[in-house]
Amino acid sequence: MTAWLMRRLAAAIAGVWAVVTLTFLLIHLAPGTPFLPGAERPADPAVIAELRARFGLDRPLPAQYVSYLRELVRGNLGVSFARRRPVAEALVEAIPNTLVLAGAALCIDFLLGLALGIYQAARARRAADVVLGNATLFFSSVPTFWLGLVLLLVFGQWLRWFPVGGVTDPVLYSSLPWAGKVADRLWHLALPALTLGVVGAAGTARYQRAAMLEALGQDFVRTARAKGATERRVLLRHALGNALLPFITLFGLAFPFLLTGAVLTETIFAWPGMGRLAAEAIATRDYPMVTAAALVAAVMVAAGNLLADLLLAAADPRIRVASE
Amino acid sequence: MRLPPRAICRSFFLAALVVTAACGPPGGCRGDYCGTLVFAATGQPDILLPPVTEQAVPRDIFDQIFLKLADIGMSTNTVGDRDFQAQLARRWEWDDPLTLVFHLDPRARWQDGAPVTAADVAFTFDAYTDLKVNSPTRAALRSIAAVTARDSLTAVFRFRTRYPEMFFDAVYHMRILPAHLLREVPRDQWTTAAFGRAPVGNGPYRFVSWTPGASVELVADSAFFLGRPHIRRLIWRFTPEHEVAMTQLIAGEADALEFLGPPPNVQRAHQAPQLAVYPYRGTAYGYLGFNLTANGDTTRPHPLFSDREVRRALSMAVDRERLLRSVFGDLAKVPPGPLSQIWSIWDTTLRAPPYDPAQAASLLERRDWRDANSDGVRDRRGQPLAFRLLVLSTSAVRRRYGQLLQEQFRAIGARVELDVVENTVLQERAHAGKFDAVLASWVTDPTPSSGIPQTWTRDGFGGGNYGRYHNPAFEAALHRAATARGTAQEAQALWRTAVQLIADDAPGIWLYAPDNVAAVHNRVADVRIRPDSWWALVRTWRIPSDRLIDRDRVER
Repeated sequence: MTAWLMRRLAAAIAGVWAVVTLTFLLIHLAPGTPFLPGAERPADPAVIAELRARFGLDRPLPAQYVSYLRELVRGNLGVSFARRRPVAEALVEAIPNTLVLAGAALCIDFLLGLALGIYQAARARRAADVVLGNATLFFSSVPTFWLGLVLLLVFGQWLRWFPVGGVTDPVLYSSLPWAGKVADRLWHLALPALTLGVVGAAGTARYQRAAMLEALGQDFVRTARAKGATERRVLLRHALGNALLPFITLFGLAFPFLLTGAVLTETIFAWPGMGRLAAEAIATRDYPMVTAAALVAAVMVAAGNLLADLLLAAADPRIRVASE
Repeated sequence: MRLPPRAICRSFFLAALVVTAACGPPGGCRGDYCGTLVFAATGQPDILLPPVTEQAVPRDIFDQIFLKLADIGMSTNTVGDRDFQAQLARRWEWDDPLTLVFHLDPRARWQDGAPVTAADVAFTFDAYTDLKVNSPTRAALRSIAAVTARDSLTAVFRFRTRYPEMFFDAVYHMRILPAHLLREVPRDQWTTAAFGRAPVGNGPYRFVSWTPGASVELVADSAFFLGRPHIRRLIWRFTPEHEVAMTQLIAGEADALEFLGPPPNVQRAHQAPQLAVYPYRGTAYGYLGFNLTANGDTTRPHPLFSDREVRRALSMAVDRERLLRSVFGDLAKVPPGPLSQIWSIWDTTLRAPPYDPAQAASLLERRDWRDANSDGVRDRRGQPLAFRLLVLSTSAVRRRYGQLLQEQFRAIGARVELDVVENTVLQERAHAGKFDAVLASWVTDPTPSSGIPQTWTRDGFGGGNYGRYHNPAFEAALHRAATARGTAQEAQALWRTAVQLIADDAPGIWLYAPDNVAAVHNRVADVRIRPDSWWALVRTWRIPSDRLIDRDRVER
C-alpha cells in the first residue's frame, strides 16, 4: 500500500510540474503583453520598458523559466504585475473563498445528486423518474455562467431575495456579531453555491441512478428481497453500498469541474476567489499570478484524485489487492 | 405586517443559526453627518499610492485620501490659475515668470497628526520624477526644473520654460505625499509598498479597510481642515463586470455608478425609482485609426493608408452622424477631430471630411482604384482595396461600430475584415504597428496639450500614436497653440488651425465623443460631478437627516 501511495504521489507531483511548465510556456507565448493600460489612456513606452526590465521580461524565455523554477522551489511565487503585491498573499486570501464555494457546491452536488439518483432508481420508468430525468438532463446541459446569470437576475435583481455578488455585505458586516457574520456569509454564498452545485448535482444524479439500477438487478439484491428485507433496506443498505463506487470516482472528477466552473461563477458573482483571480490574471497577462493559479489548481485536482483513489481502495478491496 | 421576501430570506439564514439582536434594524447615527455611500466599481485598485498608478478605480479612492496643492474647477479650464480651487495651498503667487510660490495652509495635517509641510511637497515632486518610482505621470512634470522648500510652509516651483498651463502642470498631476512615512521606503519598492495598502493621507477621508477583490472603506475625517465631510462612510464595492455593477445599482445594493454605459443602461437607471441620473461631459473619444506604416513593418509605408487621398475617401464614405445615432442614440456627439468634449477647444465648426460617398468614389477613381473584375471590391495594379480592422472584443460599442463600418466601406468598394481580439492582444499589436486599422478610444486629461501629442505626434510613436501619423506642420501648429501667450481667443484660433490640419489629413475617422451619465441614489443632495474626476467633490455631497436609510445609520 505504501509503495502504491508513493507511486501515486510521484505521479501527482509530475503532473503538477507538467501543468506548471505548460502554463508558463503557454501564457508567455500567447499573444498579448502585460503592463499595457486598459485601453483608456496612452501608455508611456519608457514606463512600460522600465516595468518589463524590473520584472525580468526583457530576458530570454528559457532564462525566465529557470529563474521561475528556482524561485518556486524556494517557495517564492513572485509579485503580481496587476495587483502589485506578492502572489502568495493574494492566493492566501483567495483560496479560502474558493474552498468555501467549492465545498458548499460539492455538498449540494453530492447530497442532492445522491438523493435524486436513489429516488429515481426506486421509481424507475415511472412519471417522477421521467420528469426528474428530463430535469437533470436539462441542468447538466446548461452552462454554469448562464444559470448564474439567470439566478442573479431572478433572485438578485427582480425578487431581491439574495445579494448581487460579493462574499459579505460591505456596509453591515463589520457591525454584526459572529452569528450575524456567519449568516451574512451564508446569505451571500447561496446563489453562487447553487449555481455550481445544481449543475453538478444533475450529472451526479444521472450517474447514481444508473449505478443504482445496475445494483438493483444483481443477485444479492434478489436474495435480500427473498429473505424478506424491506424495500428501504434493500435500497439504502444493499444496493446503495454497491453503487457507491462510481460516486467516489465522481468525487475525484468533481474537483476539475468545480475549479473550471468557479472561474465563471466567481466572475459573475464578484466572488473574490481563485477562479476570478485566474480569469483577471489571464486577461491582464499577469504571468506570475496565472502560473501560481495553475499550480494551486493542479495541486487541488491531484489531491482530489489521490483522495478518490484512497477512498476507492478503502471501499473496494479488489482495487487494493490489484494495486498491490 | 407582511415582510418582504428579501427579509424573509435573510431571516431564514439568521434563524438557522442564532437570531441576535444585531441582525435586526441596525445602528443609531442621527443628524447631518451620517450617511454611507456605496460606489459600484468595475475593476479593483492595484495599489493606493498615487505616484505608482493612474488607473481609474484607485484614483477615485486616493483622491479622497490625498489632496493636491490646488485642484481644477468645474469649468476644467487648464489655462492660467484663475479657475483653480485652493486645497493644501492657501494661496500662491508668481515671483517671476518661471517661479511659482505656494503658501501652504497651516491647518493642513496628515491623518497621523503631523503637519503638512513644504518639505512634503518637495519630496513628492522628487518621488514623482524618480525613475525608480516609474510614475506614469512623470512625463507630465518635465517642464518643472525643481521644487524646493523655502520654509516649512512655502514651496517654490521653478519651471524650465513659460507656457499657459504651467499652473495646471504644477498642481494637477501630484497628490502630496507624507515624507515622514515614505522617506525610508526604498523607491524601487514603492510598487508593492505596504503604505499603498493602508495609506495615511491629508484629505477629507481616512483609510479604514481593504478587502481584496471585494471592497475598500473610508471614513470621514471629522477634523478635516477644509470642513468636515457630510457623508460619514464611503465604500467602494468591486465587481469584475460592468453589468454586475449596474445590477447592484438597480437592486439598491450600491448608491452610485459613475458611468452607466450604453443607452439601455441609462434607460434602466431612469426606471429605477431610487436613482437620480446626472449627465456630464465625457472625457473620451473613439475613432478608427489608420496605420500609416505597413502592417508589421513600421519602416515601410502602408500600401493603402500612406496615401492621404485614400484616407480622405474612406473618411467621406462614413456617415458618422447616422452611425452615432444607431449606437449611442442621443448620448454622444460626433467629434470634429481628435477631441473630447471636456476640452475647451471643442469646436463643432471645424471641417472633418464630410459624408459624401460620391466624392469618396471620385477620389478613389482619381487615384486609380477601380473595380476591374466587378467583384465589388476596387483594386489597383492587382491589389484589392481591402484591409483588416482591429476591434476590442470586450467593447460592445466598438464591435457594433466595426460591423457598421464594414457596410459603409463596402458601399464604396472597400472590403474590411474584422479582427476581434482581447485588450492585451489589441494593445500589443497596436503598439507594435501590427495592424491595418484599429478601432480605439482615448480617455483624455482636461488639457489637449498633453493628450494630442501623446496620440497624434511623433512623441507618441511606440505609444499612443498607433498609426504613426507624423505631420511636421501639424506638430508645429500644435506647439504654437500649446505655448501661446496671447488672449484666450488667440489661443483658441491657434488650436483651431492645428486641429483643422489633422482633420484635413484624416489619419483617422473620429467617430464618437460620448456624453457620460452617472447615477446616484436620490437621497443624496448637492451632487456635483466633475467630468475629469467623478467623485472629486464627494466631500461636499450630503444626505439630509430626513432621508437617511438603514445603511446610513449603521455604526461600524
